[in-house]
Amino acid sequence: MQLPLLERVKKQGITFAMTPRIRSGSSTGTYCAVPDQSITKIPQRPLAHGEQYRFHFDMTKCIGCKCCVVACNEQNGNPAHINWRRVGEIEGGWYPNTQRLHLSMGCNHCLEPTCLTGCPVDAYTKDPLTGVVIHNAQTCIGCQYCTWNCSYGVPQYNSERGVVGKCDMCHNRLAEGREPACVGACPEGAIQIEIVNIAEWKRNYAASANAPGLPSADDSLSTTRITLPASLPPDTRKVDLNRVRPEHPHWPLVFMTVLTQLSVGAFATIWLLQILGEQARLNIAALVSLAVGGLALAASTMHLGRPIHAYRALKMWKRSWLSREVLLFGLFSKIAFAYAALLWLSWPGSHVAGGLTVFAGVAGVTASACIYLVRPRPAWRSRHTVAEFYLAGALLGPLLAANLGLGARQWLISAAVVAAGLQLLNLLVKFLWLVSSDIFELKASARLLSAQLRPLLLMRCVLLVVGGIVLPLQSQSAVSLAVAFATAFAGEILGRYLFFVSVVPKNMAASYLSGRKAAA
Amino acid sequence: MTLKRQLGLDILAGKYSYGTDPVTGFTSAQKIPDRWVATTCGYCSVGCGMLVGVKDGKAVSVRGNPDHPVNRGLLCPKGLSEHHTIEAETRARYPLLRKNGKLTRISWDEALETLVAKFRGVQKKYGPDALGVLSTGQLVTEEFYALGKLVQLGFGTKNYDGNTTLCMASAVSGYKRSFGSDGPPGAYEDLEKADVILLLGANVADNHPILCQRLEANQSKILIVADPRVTKTAMMADIYLPLKPRSDIALINGLIHILLEQDLVDRRYIAQHTTGFDALEESVRKYTPEFVSRITGLSQEQFLRTALLYGHAQAPFIGWTMGVNHSTKGTETVNAINNLALVTGKIGKPGASPFSITGQCNAMGTREAGFTSSIPGYRKFESVRDREEIARLWNMAPGRIPTSRGLAYPDIVEAALAKKIRALWVIATNPVVSFPNLGILQQSLEALDFFVVQDGFHPTPTSELADLVLPAAIWGEKEGTYTNSERRVSKVNAAVPAPGEARSDFDIFLAIAETLGCREELFPDWHGPKDAFEEWKCVSAGRLCDYSGLDYELIEKHGGIQWPFPTGATEIATSRLYTDGRFQTEDGKARLFPIEWEPFPEQPNDDYPFVLNTGRTVEHWHTRTKTAQVAILQHLSPNAWLEMNPRDADALKLQPHAHVDIVSRRGRTSGVELRITEMIAPGQVFMPFHFAETNVNQVTQSAFDPFSREPNYKQCAVRVEQTPPSSTKASGFGWFRGKSTTAQERRP
Repeated sequence: MQLPLLERVKKQGITFAMTPRIRSGSSTGTYCAVPDQSITKIPQRPLAHGEQYRFHFDMTKCIGCKCCVVACNEQNGNPAHINWRRVGEIEGGWYPNTQRLHLSMGCNHCLEPTCLTGCPVDAYTKDPLTGVVIHNAQTCIGCQYCTWNCSYGVPQYNSERGVVGKCDMCHNRLAEGREPACVGACPEGAIQIEIVNIAEWKRNYAASANAPGLPSADDSLSTTRITLPASLPPDTRKVDLNRVRPEHPHWPLVFMTVLTQLSVGAFATIWLLQILGEQARLNIAALVSLAVGGLALAASTMHLGRPIHAYRALKMWKRSWLSREVLLFGLFSKIAFAYAALLWLSWPGSHVAGGLTVFAGVAGVTASACIYLVRPRPAWRSRHTVAEFYLAGALLGPLLAANLGLGARQWLISAAVVAAGLQLLNLLVKFLWLVSSDIFELKASARLLSAQLRPLLLMRCVLLVVGGIVLPLQSQSAVSLAVAFATAFAGEILGRYLFFVSVVPKNMAASYLSGRKAAA
Repeated sequence: MTLKRQLGLDILAGKYSYGTDPVTGFTSAQKIPDRWVATTCGYCSVGCGMLVGVKDGKAVSVRGNPDHPVNRGLLCPKGLSEHHTIEAETRARYPLLRKNGKLTRISWDEALETLVAKFRGVQKKYGPDALGVLSTGQLVTEEFYALGKLVQLGFGTKNYDGNTTLCMASAVSGYKRSFGSDGPPGAYEDLEKADVILLLGANVADNHPILCQRLEANQSKILIVADPRVTKTAMMADIYLPLKPRSDIALINGLIHILLEQDLVDRRYIAQHTTGFDALEESVRKYTPEFVSRITGLSQEQFLRTALLYGHAQAPFIGWTMGVNHSTKGTETVNAINNLALVTGKIGKPGASPFSITGQCNAMGTREAGFTSSIPGYRKFESVRDREEIARLWNMAPGRIPTSRGLAYPDIVEAALAKKIRALWVIATNPVVSFPNLGILQQSLEALDFFVVQDGFHPTPTSELADLVLPAAIWGEKEGTYTNSERRVSKVNAAVPAPGEARSDFDIFLAIAETLGCREELFPDWHGPKDAFEEWKCVSAGRLCDYSGLDYELIEKHGGIQWPFPTGATEIATSRLYTDGRFQTEDGKARLFPIEWEPFPEQPNDDYPFVLNTGRTVEHWHTRTKTAQVAILQHLSPNAWLEMNPRDADALKLQPHAHVDIVSRRGRTSGVELRITEMIAPGQVFMPFHFAETNVNQVTQSAFDPFSREPNYKQCAVRVEQTPPSSTKASGFGWFRGKSTTAQERRP
């Protein structure tokens, strides 16, 4: 029989596996062909100046067995749903030239850790010796701001404890000269600890720290080095792209943000009316607004895993927007109290106190908005967030004041209607921005809003238009105004709920399965 | 939640504290044990050595045994979390008897008396073979040995088989036909010494991940993987052969065809050590590259490259698992594989072997000692000499030894349906999830007069239907030995006591023998597993699976020792069978068989256009009685899925994550999450078989290998439909759920 192909492959020099390298068995008889790899799995020399530890992940070796995940959970005694090390899947190519690759990741122990910079209580430290980003559960108050600040979804909130936790590279094991749990458990030797020169890495990280299925290493200068296969199919992508779910609503924060904005809006209204010479019932309005503000601050502590330690959040005001928010709203509430007292007692100086109240309040709302302008949550990171927060105050403040029987009702209603119109515009522009974006997280957010969340989005618009525009313009009876305020308030609450649930955070690739029962 | 916790004064610092274990170092304090107990993993047949950490009488942690020759300290995710199976809520704790339709707790005495009375009653009325027994590959060898004697000699029924028939039976039958005996010839070390590794229908990356380190260590090999699905293992291959479902025989015959053409066969070996070559040569004549290419769908170039690589290899290794075995042609495919190894003389040499990578932790043990498809010690029912020998060893009349094998697993099920079998005893297996075409099985279980389930877990879909439930100890709670894929015998030890009144299967068998009145005859002076092991050593002496030089201490010392290990053996080196070219046939020569490719039985058509393939995922074990109870595994792999090529999904207008029904002529599996992926070829779909809630065996087929009686799980014709939105309940066993965790808990 002719074998033209044999001729061809011979001519083309394709060599077959006629290798003589059949190694002889060890003479002792016991099996020891696989060398003890632990020596090469962790650094064998001390760190020099300007160096730190990092993970190396070899994607060409990983078989997706998830031993690292199980070993990590056992090492740290974590419940099943908290995984400090995770394995995601990316896939590309066409049958039969398909490649599914796995991405195993703990913490990237970034050079510019955003979890650390955002933390209001200084629970994070970047270990000066090893560069490991360490989280201190004792200090943590469970505000979960770090979980929004990490592009990789590394810090995870443990509701059983009320604090966050994360991968610390098992640095206590490294100190003992032992490999981290994930490193030791990997049957393929795909995970290692290495030493990295920080300055060098800063110059060259882009090529080795990025991988398909991972957010850009630019966000925080990840130190993890990833070895990718020599060639990847061009369409290699996360397998969980179609598995977008609403995020957690954070109900205390929904109420806290809307109520603080209402309170600040109301004080601004009161103060402006005072400046314009109105006097009737300002003291009552101030008292109500103060109560609203108090309610908001109470709501904010409900969000914390450890409310008793809420005061700690003041600590990092030089660095963390969350600290600044707490500080400014704290100031706001105290000055507002003074303002209300001065108004109530009709003492002089209330104009100045009112001005300071409004200043602190607006600054607080600004800080509040800035909290959400984080890279890992692209749908929040826009001027629409700032606008939404201001406009909520601008809509609800005057409406509340009108309900409390303050003067210049016509002006108040006009202000509210204008604010409602702008809020609606802001909403529409934001939605168009999301829909037209090429960025996965923004598109996914638009998909959520236009599919699963569509009824709520429509209701939010209806409430805004009815409560903020139709009712106030139609009738100014006390009942109508009360209904208008309630409707507009409900609209803002729903809007804020959608703000929280419709954001799609950046994250590493996950696995495909949804873990949910068949849809009913 | 306490007030202190709600306020944040308490963050469960104790529970989440760390400590330093003197052996393993810094770790979660709750995982630091008082002592470590060496044992062998109880999941698959890789046979990893491990240590169980025990603290206050509870198993709190596990770690791979760094000194064990198989795994050198490494474990797969199931092994790494195996201690959690012991604490599962669904452990069987007390004997239960169905009274007025309800399973009610009874005493062990009542349980044993009831079992014996009912079994004896049925046998008296309908004949001894009206009792059927279905066992497993999960017990220790000592238990298999005891059970075999109890069933065949005590109860006197031949209708005894194991779930190994759903798994490795085709390898067993294939080995017996080709080599004259069961027994995998190779060793794991061959994975490191081979220059060409051909894996047929074996997804080791998902199913035997700890073997992958051997592949990784062998940098000079060429890995060829033949599988219709682009499995994780296929993605590791140097050459991937995406052949059409069940075209492997054509591929192998084609390889032999080329090797003959190119004179890459070992004519001297063929002449000296085989018979049947002429018929084989004749039969492969038509398997030309054109013909093979047409049947397999491979390009001629791919195929020729493979043939030349294999032909020129000095140490080619052929590994296979269920892609070969789960087939009506399973046994013959194994024979074809053996043909390929034999004509090249590549068997019994370092690196070179045909090698079945076994499934269950001790499937090998029941094959050697179990008295199901053969008499203990790989003896043949048909052989007068073998029967006389075993009768002499057992000190009984040769007439008591059965002269033929009883019914195999699927035939026991059919006999129950036909009311020929009236009582059934199921031990450590879960057929209501694992048996193909479940409807048949359910009818046959309903037809029984008396149904006993002996298991470590209750409720399982099977134990729910039982009249009598016997609670058994599981891995970590009992002593004995397992034999792994490479014939390595490892020790299994008890780390903790069994829960409630659960007893080891060994104790249960002896207690039943006592009640039956045959304990003294069958198990004279037996007290523990060691007594069984000592007797088994004598019974195995001189056989291929010779244990006679082994003892518990020696095994423990070396972590595991391969048989044959006859009395006086001292060398603990890796061993291979048939190194001298002498086989276990009458004439000492291996048999070559002409094997013909045939299409698989149920071809797709317009109504059922897809070929359904089934398999596993790394996180789960078989029917999930264990792994569904391990929260981390359940979290990592929460539900079943159906893989479908994007082209097919487009045509059916199905979206990713849609819930679909899989429908065959036999039934429907509802509400399966759709995974649209290029891992699967157009026209094929794949689904894992672990999930009782969405059970693929509601659609698989009753078609069995004529030799091994192994089911054809791997191919049947189905259609796929979007699950109607109204069907809120997933089909099957809605109550059978694993521990669930909600992803939402992450961000409260």
